[in-house]
Amino acid sequence: MDLVKYLTFSMILFLLGIWGIFLNRKNILIMLMSIELMLLAVNLNFLVFSVYLDDMMGQLFALFVLTVAAAESAIGLAILVITFRIRGTIAVEFINCMKG
Amino acid sequence: MKLELDMFFLYGSTILPECILIFSLLIILIIDLTFPKKDTIWLYFISLTSLLISIIILLFQYKTDPIISFLGSFQTDSFNRIFQSFIVFCSILCIPLSIEYIKCAKMAIPEFLIFILTATVGGMFLCGANDLVTIFVSLECLSLCSYLLCGYTKRDIRSNEAAIKYLLIGGTSSSILAYGFSWLYGLSGGETNIQKITNGLLNAETYNSSGTFIAFICILVGLAFKLSLVPFHQWTPDIYEGSPTPVVAFLSVTSKIAGLALATRILNILFSFSPNEWKIFLEILAILSMILGNLVAITQTSMKRMLAYSSISQIGYILIGLITGDLKGYTSMTIYVFFYIFMNLGTFACIILYSLRTGTDNIRDYAGLYIKDPLLSFSLTLCLLSLGGLPPLTGFFGKLYLFWCGWQSGFYLLVFIALITSVISLYYYLKIIKLILTKKNNEINPYIQAYIITSPTFFSKNPIEFVMIFCVLGSTFLGIIINPIFSFFQDSLSLSVFFIK
Repeated sequence: MDLVKYLTFSMILFLLGIWGIFLNRKNILIMLMSIELMLLAVNLNFLVFSVYLDDMMGQLFALFVLTVAAAESAIGLAILVITFRIRGTIAVEFINCMKG
Repeated sequence: MKLELDMFFLYGSTILPECILIFSLLIILIIDLTFPKKDTIWLYFISLTSLLISIIILLFQYKTDPIISFLGSFQTDSFNRIFQSFIVFCSILCIPLSIEYIKCAKMAIPEFLIFILTATVGGMFLCGANDLVTIFVSLECLSLCSYLLCGYTKRDIRSNEAAIKYLLIGGTSSSILAYGFSWLYGLSGGETNIQKITNGLLNAETYNSSGTFIAFICILVGLAFKLSLVPFHQWTPDIYEGSPTPVVAFLSVTSKIAGLALATRILNILFSFSPNEWKIFLEILAILSMILGNLVAITQTSMKRMLAYSSISQIGYILIGLITGDLKGYTSMTIYVFFYIFMNLGTFACIILYSLRTGTDNIRDYAGLYIKDPLLSFSLTLCLLSLGGLPPLTGFFGKLYLFWCGWQSGFYLLVFIALITSVISLYYYLKIIKLILTKKNNEINPYIQAYIITSPTFFSKNPIEFVMIFCVLGSTFLGIIINPIFSFFQDSLSLSVFFIK
């Protein structure tokens, strides 16, 4: 099993997630998906290490990360629904009533 | 590994305070679900009583030897106990602050109390977490509740926006932190316990590799996001401005204290093999936060934004104690955190009271407040001066000990910048005080014209005023008895994990 390839792959996924958050100027849904992507990259990293080291804790941690990611996206979507009800849009460029 | 019920009874006393809070929040949930016509006083009573019981238990247990419980995932020592009692103390002060605000905003009370209690439990577990899994889950428990609290006034556009921003930034920071954890897990050879990770890294001789460096940078960035250090601070002012003010008061102290405890434990136990490395990085972050936080705070027009930048600079001062890394530094850091609770919550109590009566938190609307409400303006003046660190008040003594410890440990540049920036910070605090005391208001807002002069009674029934007076007394007179406080904290902190080797 080639560890380095898998780690590079998960790092690329993680960087794609960061890129999606900081350079995305269109939609909040895409930003939420980027956060999910980052957490999935973390999961992949854990699983790769877990299989490589033949250790259970990594898979357990991956399960916890999955649960947390689900809770976080649920809260994010709930907030998004409320915002859409009030404003009628979820575009990033209109979320700017506070600046400084 | 077999999990038995005996084990819970064996180690149950280590998480007894948390258990009480969980029990009370379940009771509140059940009451909310079963009784259609709610008596809200009971809900406040239950939550405050459970918080009081839990802080009493914490104070009885504060001088324990380090105990590792629950298969190494939770550690109790005097450092955790002190920080946990700080968190519970903040919650006790914050619940009275929010009573009237919730009534005015017509929000649901039971959920608010449940979120506050859950956030408190998350913060308490975070203080004692000894395992990467526990750290991650309790951190998320704290931050998920914070997102919900930030967006609690559902119909307010700004509260929504703050919640979205907080969720995106907080989610990003915790996934960066988790990425660092995954590297640590792999490099240490499959360990998740933070003491064992250090040993694993040293045994596998990977502590100098680039992988460990990636993990270190990721964890430091994640922690800096949580503590809102410059350059990871951009979210703080927006969230302070948008969220409901009692929530900001709660978050500004609770999440700071929990994050600080987490940072101290991770940096001291996990990265104990390279103390010089993290000290340099933290020093840069602290210097940047002090300079930028204070300079930007001068230009702010909103009171809450100003306090956001001031809290960024305050966390820079607190980090001096962490950077020194000896017993005296930690003691002065703990003392400053303790004083910061009083000063910050006192200021927020004044702002909540004023914004409830007038509906504004612009700085220029505070002009001429002295004539209308002497008590409020007097308290606000004392709290702001204490935050700035003027000599006879509490903040001065806290800062004095911090700077003195930093100077003794040889961090001259850090202390020098801290001294200069605290003079700058006095400028903007004094600007507000000058506005309150002297200027005549031009009466733009009709609500400010109709400001009702309260009777200057010191024992009124308003819970916000009660908290305000309590905090003002704390931030004025606690500095006088700093020597007994210092020796008390030093005695108990010398029993903590960092100093028993």
